[in-house]
Amino acid sequence: MKTMVSSVSKKHKISNLLVYILLIFICVVWLMPFVYLIFQAFRGESRGMVSYILPKEWSLANFKILFNETNFVNWYLNTVIIALFTAFFQTVIVLSVSYTLSRLRFRGRRLLMNMILVLEMFPGFLSMIAVYFILKLIGFTGPGSVPGLILVYIGSSGMGYYVAKGFFDTIPRSLDEAARIDGASRARVFYKIILPMAKPIIIYTVMMAFIAPWGDYMFASLITFGYEEAYNVAVGLFTFLDREHINNYFTVFCAGGLLVALPITVLFMMLQKYYVEGVTGGAVKG
Amino acid sequence: MLNRDLLEFYKLNGLQKAFYKILWFITAIPKTTVNLFKKIFYSVKGFILKTFSVFRNIVRIFKEGDIYTRISYFIMGFGQFFRKQPLRGILFLVFQLVFTLYMLLFGVNHIGKLDNLGDVAAVTVINEYGLEVIEYKDNSLQILLYGVLTLFFCLGFIYTWYVNVKQNWVAQNLIAKGSKPKNAVEDIHSLADEQYHKTLLTLPLAGILVFTVIPLLFMVLVAFTNYDYTHLPPSKLFTWVGLDNFKSLLGVQVADGKFAFTFGEILVWTLIWAFFATFTNYFLGILVAMLINKKGIRFKKGFRTLLIFTIAVPQFVSLLLISKMLADDGAINGILFQLGLIKENIKWLTDPILARVTVILVNIWLGIPYTMLIATGILINIPADLYESARIDGASGIKRFTKITMPYMLFVTGPYLLTTFVGNINNFNVIYLLTGGAPKTTDFTGGAGYTDLLITWLYKLTLTDNDYKMAAVIGIMTFVVVAGISLVVYNLSPSVKNEESFQ
Amino acid sequence: MASVVLNGVKKIYKGGFTAVKNFDLEIKDKEFVVFVGPSGCGKSTTLRMIAGLEEISEGKIYIDGKCVNDTEPKDRDIAMVFQNYALYPHMSVYENMAFGLVLRRVNKEEIHRRVLEAAEILGISDLLGRTPRALSGGQRQRVAIGRAIVRVPRVFLMDEPLSNLDAKLRNQMRTEIMLLREKIDTTFVYVTHDQTEAMTLGDRIVIMKDGYIQQVGTPREVFEAPANTFVAGFIGSPPMNFFKAGITGGKEKPYLSICGTEIPVSKKVLENINLPEDKKVLLGIRPEHIYIASGEGISGEIKVSEMMGSELHVHLITEDGTNVVVRVPTLELSEKDKSLLLPHNTVNFSLREQALHFFDTKTGMNINKTSSYQ
Repeated sequence: MKTMVSSVSKKHKISNLLVYILLIFICVVWLMPFVYLIFQAFRGESRGMVSYILPKEWSLANFKILFNETNFVNWYLNTVIIALFTAFFQTVIVLSVSYTLSRLRFRGRRLLMNMILVLEMFPGFLSMIAVYFILKLIGFTGPGSVPGLILVYIGSSGMGYYVAKGFFDTIPRSLDEAARIDGASRARVFYKIILPMAKPIIIYTVMMAFIAPWGDYMFASLITFGYEEAYNVAVGLFTFLDREHINNYFTVFCAGGLLVALPITVLFMMLQKYYVEGVTGGAVKG
Repeated sequence: MLNRDLLEFYKLNGLQKAFYKILWFITAIPKTTVNLFKKIFYSVKGFILKTFSVFRNIVRIFKEGDIYTRISYFIMGFGQFFRKQPLRGILFLVFQLVFTLYMLLFGVNHIGKLDNLGDVAAVTVINEYGLEVIEYKDNSLQILLYGVLTLFFCLGFIYTWYVNVKQNWVAQNLIAKGSKPKNAVEDIHSLADEQYHKTLLTLPLAGILVFTVIPLLFMVLVAFTNYDYTHLPPSKLFTWVGLDNFKSLLGVQVADGKFAFTFGEILVWTLIWAFFATFTNYFLGILVAMLINKKGIRFKKGFRTLLIFTIAVPQFVSLLLISKMLADDGAINGILFQLGLIKENIKWLTDPILARVTVILVNIWLGIPYTMLIATGILINIPADLYESARIDGASGIKRFTKITMPYMLFVTGPYLLTTFVGNINNFNVIYLLTGGAPKTTDFTGGAGYTDLLITWLYKLTLTDNDYKMAAVIGIMTFVVVAGISLVVYNLSPSVKNEESFQ
Repeated sequence: MASVVLNGVKKIYKGGFTAVKNFDLEIKDKEFVVFVGPSGCGKSTTLRMIAGLEEISEGKIYIDGKCVNDTEPKDRDIAMVFQNYALYPHMSVYENMAFGLVLRRVNKEEIHRRVLEAAEILGISDLLGRTPRALSGGQRQRVAIGRAIVRVPRVFLMDEPLSNLDAKLRNQMRTEIMLLREKIDTTFVYVTHDQTEAMTLGDRIVIMKDGYIQQVGTPREVFEAPANTFVAGFIGSPPMNFFKAGITGGKEKPYLSICGTEIPVSKKVLENINLPEDKKVLLGIRPEHIYIASGEGISGEIKVSEMMGSELHVHLITEDGTNVVVRVPTLELSEKDKSLLLPHNTVNFSLREQALHFFDTKTGMNINKTSSYQ
């Protein structure tokens, strides 16, 4: 009896050990690029790309160059403004659409949901080409890109209602009905009953809406084409790595990347609970 | 299936069962394609019938309408005025006036020019100072744009006119029955109640219309023109070319088959990429989730948080960095060299085949934390008693995985897999930021490379080549591919599931 | 305080499914009416149509004489208690109860007075500051009722309010609802699937099945004179026993041919029923009206004998395969009797004549002459 028990637990111990080794290996591999980023951002000895990891000299030179010799500050500010406006308006739009499709019943509801499904099958960039021409007419491209990009991000954000709708679907209907019998109009039900309960999904939506503009290269590169001061951080930092600039700006890129990654990562980790809830709740239920 | 057949089935051994399952799957495919076409046929038929009923309504309402309703066919809002709904009446009337004015002043002009998108682009004239200047006349882009906008305006008007007619009909009937149609105050109140959906949806739907629907229509039309860098307004015109672009993309009746060849290759790679990107992340994510979730492993939250960290860092930073680390003279090769593992630099991103493999590997790096999260969420929710009763029944670890974990997972994440697959078909960032579509080759046109997806190729054609017409065609083809796959999967899954239930 | 009249009310869903078929009922002012029936019978749907939460497909509903088909729930002056309480989770008990009054712009003092009064009646005065999360099931139920009381509604609707409570709590709340009824003088419409709740709470009971009304009557009426076999088998626990029987013998000395035996029956009993042509009937008798004895009567083998405390529920099966349940009080059972009532023993039982119910074999309808359901 005794030998059987200890051999079973020994097997467990070995398998657990293997799992630990595997997991630690995974963590090292996964985090390595960021360690590399931090090291390169503070490297002092040259500004091109090198094939070793540890810096020989540590310095803050790259950051100085970033602030003084490039348009980085412009790009950063542009992105912050765009992100703030997008966060606000996109949340309003997404919540309105998800609530309507979740709770309100009207003729054409099914049709609307199917139409949106079909529209999403087109590559997003395709419609952007035409949007660019339209925005150009109004003057929201090039130097006027900031409002242009805001419009681009929030314009069709109503189509991204799935996660929020999934959340609203989990709230029991009887709550709405009780409020309506108590005398609330549907608008009141939305404001006074449902929204206060929806804190997790509101935070998730705001979070996603705020973070997205920081990482958008595809749309931003189109709308801001040719006007460096209007770039967002993604487009701007990308230029540091092209053939022309990479030998002098690789480490500067790392410094810029670090400054972009830092606040976003901190924000994300602080709110990760809501992110996980949104992903596992909404993405899974479809 | 008769019960007798079912019992016979259970008597077969594993190999024979597998044979039958494959047989069922294959025979299901023609069945589902037939079902698919049937469905499409019925929905088209339904749509046509609906349009006919709308026409019938229009005629019927006129016939049965009273004098106010009939006049409203020509003067919108007329009936509403006389039925004590002045607010609605004014809104309709104003809209009609604005539309009529617009059409007379601009609209007719815009639609008129749509037939050939302009006659003369620019002329050189002598101005008052005796200098030669260029005077711009027809701008094909503007003509097409304004033309499309005007068409939409017309559609909107027709819809509003129909709403006006229907409202008159409803109000007329209400009065006949003895009740009152809503007055202005009640109307506004109902916007917060019975019609709240309209209030909430107006702005979002307007946004979708302006930023997605109209642009898409515009681009679809561009696919039938020759709008590219040799036909750039304002100095040049472009015009309709019918199906020429599609022909050159598909290699039909063309002199130079390069476009078709490029398209074919890129399409195949896009599908392969989407497949591997989706399923490697999926299964490996489940694996990692299970490793962390295993009984006896501590620091579960710590491991998960570390991996979530990779999602937190903005994707473009990670991707651009990794693309440089994987350069021929980059850090990765540097380390491997130092560790003595390689003698020559590995061409991670420059060798055609290796580049494709690398791209999938990097995508795994990017995607596992995400799929691990989802898998963890589901794993935790699988009822523990399922596993316990399986252990009592004597199932080994692997058996438990294949018979309990995987079926449950696949069932819950079915829709997610489809969405991810489709999303990967259009996954711009990973490819473009990592390789820029390289390594390039002269076998392809349009600056395409071995790792380009349809969407990155589209991007390049737009930004670098200004080849808008081909970009539009590729966009449409992407849609066709995605729609086709979605339809097939939606229809295949229920029938495959029926066979699954035998397990 | 209002009357509720339903006239030819139907509910037809898209796709054709008819949940409620031709519902006609007049509920008097201040009456407590219970809709009862198995799940899917349409009772909740009818209640929700009265509330305005479901659209009425056909027919009309009148509250206090006015047709409310097109009136919004909030304008019908009704209150409703839901099965899952539907309390607003982020508001305190006080705010939950005050919500409806705040929306109607009742002044603050009046709200305060009413909330405190209702809380007093329901015994939840010291819970006013808590949120629903911090309450037990029974307390939440009381708050839900309180929310309805403060509105002083014309009609009080309750949709299976006790179904989510455990058995003991359910009995307790049932009594409390009866007490509540006396303090609040208004019209009640109560939906449940539990026939005990229906019998104890209702002034009148409406029994439904598959969207149709089977019978409307006082608890006593539906118990003593069930309109058909469904009502007879639904009301009363354990349910009524049914036997296929034939009438034999002459007019003066009739016999009942039942389970392979012939037992005599007085002709007075037969004079009271509308005998069908083929002289075959469905006989119904409640378990408490059957006597087990040795000797004469119908014979059956005991399958199971359930000890319920003050009585035994004896399950028998007769020669022709009919299952019978008999209630036997344990108080005066001798030892000999107790040993008789064990499984596998064969006993004889007789039926109490005055308690016989006769039903038509094809339609299941009650064929008693004095019953009004022909």
